Amino acid sequence: MTAVLELEAIEVAGRSRPRLDGVCLRLEAGERVALLGPSGAGKSTLLAVANGLIAPHRGRLRWQGRERARSRRARRLQQSRIGTLWQDLRLIEELSVQQNLNAGRLGQWGWPRALLNLLLPLESGACAAVLRRLDLDPALLDQPVSALSGGQRQRVALGRLLRQEPMLLLADEPLASLDPRLAGELLELLLQEGRAPRALLLSLHRPDLLAGFDRVLGLRQGRMRFDLPRQAVTTAVLADLYGAALP
Amino acid sequence: MSTVGAGQRAGGAFSGWWRPAAPLWVLLPALVLLPLLVLLPGLSHGGGWSLLAQFGLAALRPSLDPLVLGSAVRGLGVTVGMALLGWALSLALGLVLGLASSRLVWQRCSGRLWPAQLIRRLLALPRSIHELLWGLILLQLVGLKPAVAVLAIAIPFAALVARVLSDQLDALPTARVEALEAAGVPAPAALLTALGPALLPQVLSYGGYRLECALRSATLLGVFGLGGLGTELRLTLQSLAFEELWTGLWLLLAVMLALEGLVGWLRRRWTMPTRLSIGPQPVTRGESSMGRSGRELLLAAALLVPLLVLVAWSLEVEPGSLLNWQPLPPLPPPDWRALAALPWPALVGNTLSLTLLAAALAVGLAPLLLLLVRPWPLGRATLQGLWALGRLWPPPLIALLLLLVLQPGVVTGALALALHNLGVLGRLLLESAEHRGEAGEQALLCSGNGPRLALLYGRFSALARPYLAYGAYRADVILRESVVVGLVGATGLGSQLLEALSAFAADELAALMLAYALLTVLGEELSDRLRRRLLAG
Repeated sequence: MTAVLELEAIEVAGRSRPRLDGVCLRLEAGERVALLGPSGAGKSTLLAVANGLIAPHRGRLRWQGRERARSRRARRLQQSRIGTLWQDLRLIEELSVQQNLNAGRLGQWGWPRALLNLLLPLESGACAAVLRRLDLDPALLDQPVSALSGGQRQRVALGRLLRQEPMLLLADEPLASLDPRLAGELLELLLQEGRAPRALLLSLHRPDLLAGFDRVLGLRQGRMRFDLPRQAVTTAVLADLYGAALP
Repeated sequence: MSTVGAGQRAGGAFSGWWRPAAPLWVLLPALVLLPLLVLLPGLSHGGGWSLLAQFGLAALRPSLDPLVLGSAVRGLGVTVGMALLGWALSLALGLVLGLASSRLVWQRCSGRLWPAQLIRRLLALPRSIHELLWGLILLQLVGLKPAVAVLAIAIPFAALVARVLSDQLDALPTARVEALEAAGVPAPAALLTALGPALLPQVLSYGGYRLECALRSATLLGVFGLGGLGTELRLTLQSLAFEELWTGLWLLLAVMLALEGLVGWLRRRWTMPTRLSIGPQPVTRGESSMGRSGRELLLAAALLVPLLVLVAWSLEVEPGSLLNWQPLPPLPPPDWRALAALPWPALVGNTLSLTLLAAALAVGLAPLLLLLVRPWPLGRATLQGLWALGRLWPPPLIALLLLLVLQPGVVTGALALALHNLGVLGRLLLESAEHRGEAGEQALLCSGNGPRLALLYGRFSALARPYLAYGAYRADVILRESVVVGLVGATGLGSQLLEALSAFAADELAALMLAYALLTVLGEELSDRLRRRLLAG
């Protein structure tokens, strides 16, 4: 079976020391993996490599068994299979919820439909279905995203990701700025959407939220300290990762 | 989770039709290209394509003859000097007039508001008349003197600076002034202390922008014979000496880019707002630290004064010479019947269509071209070059060039104005696109979208309102500027005005100027409203 994401001896140079140093990782379909590590460990860099934003200086990288495509068209197709939930969400504030959800489809659509979507938002049915799946009211479709609450915005961002229909879900500390209740709800949704045939890789700064994950990675100073099934992650393992005190 | 009735959803879909989303707004003005593409073949006469090609080729081999070079450098020196003096004078006058027309200043210092309103109304007249007209009128009154161009730039610019200053001043929060006054501080000191630091960066940023405008205006005045490089540009173009023309143009381009670079550098160094915040609804960003920049600013001001004196001395600008009026020919009594017989509706209609066409073209083409070249590695640099050339060319010279292949008329005049203003707008769009919406564009790129769609959805969404608001301001500038393409003929009030000026038909001139001023004041009001609505969003 081909892995959804494969990293082999990835190295990303930094100013004083490498931001990633010999990182290996294999993510199979259906795996939901948490990435832990102290600040500056290289979690964001690893996710940026995984979604193609940063090209590694050394090492090999494969998405669904294929290396980075050469041609522009193939490259875009490859990117459209990788979905990222950004910490700042990166919603388009001036557009409606529906137009934002549809932004996930633009890669497949091309110009005429992309322009039409700005005039008359398209595929209302599919967008409403996504909202329902995320437990949001489809009446929100016409609202500008700037009018939504923080929790609703998180879900719309996730909805845009679902419209994109990616194989790999990436999220960089998506829970960092949320209150405990919202964080719990969003995590549950992410874990639910990260099931097979997809794979989920999510960076976290809270080791207390590991319950739903299958595997946990520990990153420290750009190096992979551990790659363990969730059950094997003990307090001792975490203490070793973060230094003496647990956050 | 509530269910939504079908009717409600249909209503939502309907609302989408009459309210296109933000990124589309930016592209809508470009629709004007469609009728234009239908009209253009009928307007071209095809005789001058080989001349146009010669002109283009000459760009690669400008004349390096020492005589030509020497005269171009001297001309450029005069143009830059006139721009610098006119700019400095307009800033000084504008500061005084701006304070004098601020409601806040009058209210705090004397408790009355009407003097501010009165001065503001009076300033509409000098502001609404283009510097070219001021120049030509002064030329008739006092003859060709270096001081004429300086004053011609200073009069409308001062009124513009005054308006922007008083608008910004009146838009600032007054709580701090009230706090100081409550503590017994006299009003002028309270105003200066409380509002000065917040106002200074905006005024300086605007001042830098005015200097760029002054250089363009000084070149333009030269085209109409008021001295400097512009005169040479026009003469070499009319005698089809393209190699010599390009000698002057390349030199002017170098100076223009150096000036813009310097202004941009100072703006960044002194953390001043960028130009998209220009206008009566400023983004108040007065939080910049004024320590280091304050000292540097004083130093710059101290260096500027001797520089200005030196420039005035070397250009032989004598303010006193403006007092010696030429003997005017005896003015005949106004011929009311002839005035009424002027084709007013056509004049006004042509002026307005010229303005709207030029504004729509300039506003619409900039984002369209940016989208077009986005995926190309050299696209950005190409556009920067094109837009620098657009700014470099005074509109009447573009018009003369267009006349080689197009018939005179509204469309040709509009094209000339559009190409020049495209240079200004395009640069602004490029600069501000780099500051806004980068994250949104990146997110779209990362999810497999092409660079053009990512730009359209990601960046243009955030840019739409401020860009179009600036476009509304630009349309106002274009209306005022439409007089300068009057020499292309049949282009409305502008050409009629230039005719009346050369015939010195004083009554016709006065009537036309009044009509023009009225039109620009109305246009200004309209563009202000549009801009406020766009920015209030």
